[in-house]
Amino acid sequence: MKTFKLDNEPKIESGFKIPDHYFENFSSKIMEQMPEDEIKVISIFQKRNFLYYAAAVILVIALLIPAVNNWSTNSSEIDSVELENYITYQSNVSQYDLINNLEEEDIKNIKVKIAIEDKAIEDVLSLNSNLENLIVE
Amino acid sequence: MQEEQEFIQLLLDPKTKNHAFESLILQYQRPLYNQIRNIVLNHDDTDDVLQNTFIKIFQNLKNFKGDSKLFSWMYRIATNEALTFLKQKARKSGISSEVIQNKIIENLEADIYFDGNEIQLKLQKAISQLPEKQQLIFKMKYFDELKYEQISEILGTSVGGLKASYHIAVKKIEAFVTAN
Repeated sequence: MKTFKLDNEPKIESGFKIPDHYFENFSSKIMEQMPEDEIKVISIFQKRNFLYYAAAVILVIALLIPAVNNWSTNSSEIDSVELENYITYQSNVSQYDLINNLEEEDIKNIKVKIAIEDKAIEDVLSLNSNLENLIVE
Repeated sequence: MQEEQEFIQLLLDPKTKNHAFESLILQYQRPLYNQIRNIVLNHDDTDDVLQNTFIKIFQNLKNFKGDSKLFSWMYRIATNEALTFLKQKARKSGISSEVIQNKIIENLEADIYFDGNEIQLKLQKAISQLPEKQQLIFKMKYFDELKYEQISEILGTSVGGLKASYHIAVKKIEAFVTAN
């Protein structure tokens, strides 16, 4: 029986085979499982910074409250003096339109006894160049 | 050593670690594959263990103290992962690691990723008769042609102890092959 001597034999390989292209694909297989490169995340909930942000937000809201109130009151009410001025000077509404739109009640309320001196009447009439027209009417 | 120190820094720096790790994989995938395959014997299992090994390496880079070379540290991880895999496989089947290994050896001929001729098959069978550590030492020296100093760093056994272990292994293998 021939004694087997390892040193006398040419190098015996393990006999293991590896699938084709195995190593070419291996590194990408691993890298896919790796987490993304670290991106430093600054949390906005870090306690101290959070307090600053919260204070700033509260301040802004506090400042806005009177402004908001202002807008809301303005939108619902218009100053009556402003309205009068508008109708008198800005609008195309004539006196006749206004009179037509007045109710009986309103006319009664407008009727005001004005005590005017004769002298004052005279002064106004003397200034008015349409005197003849007025006399005719 | 200087080069290795610089490389380790690249592996630890968050900006460069992914790129450095990919180059580490390319450099060491074959030797680590061979080390694992020597232990677990079939390709699919080797693929699983090799992936786990690299993931473990990546996760533990920050713990690498540099008191051994990088490759020895990685080889050690690969070896431990492979041995653990065998033990788990055995536990799941309810049989010992040795029996598992014998089963794999018996199936080797039918394994599509084993193209061994008669002598190669006989050698594998002979090796499987050896105690676990002796098998490892023999395979690392004979198949992978690592130096005794490298094997010593990986397994933690003295060079003298390794030489003795290897020679005993050779004798046993020769006796087995002669008899079979």
